[in-house]
Amino acid sequence: MARIQSKGVSQRLQELLEGLERGLEEGLIPAGIFNDPELFELEASRIFSRSWVYLAHVSEIPSPGDYVLRYILNNAFIVVRSEDGKIRAFLDMCRHRGMRVCRAEMGNASHFRCPFHGWTYRNDGSLVGVPAEREAFGEGFRKEDWGLLPIPRLEEWDGLVFGNLDPEASSLEEWLGEIRWYLELVTKRSPMGLEVLGPPQRFVVNTDWKLALETFISDSYHTLMTHRSMIELGIAPKDAKYAMYGEQIHIPGKGHGTMVVGAPPGAKLPPFWGYPEEMMERARTSYPTRQQWEVARETRIFLVTLFPNFSLHNPIRKPDPQYPVPVPMLTFRVWHPLGPGRIEIISWGMVERDAPEWFKEKARLSYLRFFGSSGTFEQDDTEIWSHVAQNAASTLGRKVRLNYQMGRNLKPDPNWPGPGVAYPINFTDENLRNFYRKYLDMIQG
Amino acid sequence: MDVIREVLDFLHREAALLDEGRYREWLSLLTEDVVYRIPVRLTRERPPQGGYGGIAEGMLHMDEDRASLEMRVARLETGFAWAEDPPSRLRHFVTNVRVGEPVRGDRGEEVEVRSYLLLFRSRWDRPDFTFLSAERQDLLRRENGGWKLARRLVILDHSTLPTHNLSFFL
Repeated sequence: MARIQSKGVSQRLQELLEGLERGLEEGLIPAGIFNDPELFELEASRIFSRSWVYLAHVSEIPSPGDYVLRYILNNAFIVVRSEDGKIRAFLDMCRHRGMRVCRAEMGNASHFRCPFHGWTYRNDGSLVGVPAEREAFGEGFRKEDWGLLPIPRLEEWDGLVFGNLDPEASSLEEWLGEIRWYLELVTKRSPMGLEVLGPPQRFVVNTDWKLALETFISDSYHTLMTHRSMIELGIAPKDAKYAMYGEQIHIPGKGHGTMVVGAPPGAKLPPFWGYPEEMMERARTSYPTRQQWEVARETRIFLVTLFPNFSLHNPIRKPDPQYPVPVPMLTFRVWHPLGPGRIEIISWGMVERDAPEWFKEKARLSYLRFFGSSGTFEQDDTEIWSHVAQNAASTLGRKVRLNYQMGRNLKPDPNWPGPGVAYPINFTDENLRNFYRKYLDMIQG
Repeated sequence: MDVIREVLDFLHREAALLDEGRYREWLSLLTEDVVYRIPVRLTRERPPQGGYGGIAEGMLHMDEDRASLEMRVARLETGFAWAEDPPSRLRHFVTNVRVGEPVRGDRGEEVEVRSYLLLFRSRWDRPDFTFLSAERQDLLRRENGGWKLARRLVILDHSTLPTHNLSFFL
């Protein structure tokens, strides 16, 4: 107990974190962690400055010169494919006097020229142009010392590009660990991999990044009430407990979690999320292991959340009540922390590169109907998350210990074929307890 | 009544229906083949030929047809659509209306209309509010004597939306 380093941490914050640590194993979490300016500062320095944070998918920047602008905390990075085909990321800040050198959110550029004094950088970050170089800086000015600052760490895994602000961070593979087996259910569904449907939707929500993450890492239980409108409409399955059926799995020590949901008993849902036959056939041989294929075949709703703020969601859905068959959609999202009680949701629609065109169109529409800025599921999530965050900042509310006791007496499923610790029902908070163990571990050290 | 007056009347009546939450009546103003789209808007280079830049290819905030708009309205009627229950206080301010020349085509008389939209949104008892600003590029078609909305493209003036959802119509 009281392992929190007290240096620079107020009494109030120390009490809050001790409350989290003390209550975690009993399933009690103080609401104050969801909207606290001091805690946000600590999260910024101890979590977001030391974690692998999702930046982009390789399909967003397929050709040399292609770039997108992305953020970790309030640091803007140009994520760019250089002429040699390698993906690099640079702080979007001129080394001369600090101006932004990237003039768009995405595009293609061989060079980035600063509009302030004209220093010009190649898309591999090297400084190649300094106006009036000799007159201004004299002979022998070492341009090679003044390239754009590269992000401390940048690594790609199976098309997913992550950055890390900590130069000493362990590798991305090590960070991901066994969650890769589950990510592969999506990234290796086709030998051609995934592509983005377009640039992300971006929208702000007055909430905490952990509240958004909680829903996607563990909270199958909210669907029956939060998303009841979609059950009433016949778009979500009739059985209001539909999200309960399946396994909830976490990776100990890593904070990551996944939910693998099958068909509710008696529901007539096609196998393999309802993907077209030809995609199912390709997946059978594309998956690295037979176990992955067998798990995927029985899956209808699938979520993976990576510590600290990336989630993917891959549910089967009817695009509208009249449409004859349900169609799966896939979204990637980042719960980007903007400040205490404020996040930006960056939400991408994704699809297999070699999916038939008719299917890509259905998957796109299904994504737009249900998730993202206008999504009929997500609309109600963001409304609810913002009110929880508002309460979490109140003088009484922040001390209230919330209930994270669902499924406390469950025993892990010994027969689950995948890695991690699996529980045979999704109505459990097990993934959250695992997430907060990792969270405390990083906050404390 | 001349066409400009008729179009203004249509836009003002439509705005009132949306602000008063009379969504079934709003649906009756749409054609069966209505296309309603809100593309994602991005910060991009100035287009050399002028015009709006940064309209994303391939990604939208909404890409709707009659069936999906009816689904969204039906959702609001379930009593469980928390995003709009209690409803947002909305005010659609429609200005700068430009009405094209009516054209008689295969599907009847049609007219292109552009208007500016400022949408005010306030929720719960909080004193803060959000604005969304956009241009709407509409196609109206005369059906059974009255104008109906056949196509709407909403050009948002936002890259990152300043609000937590689009649970209403622009």
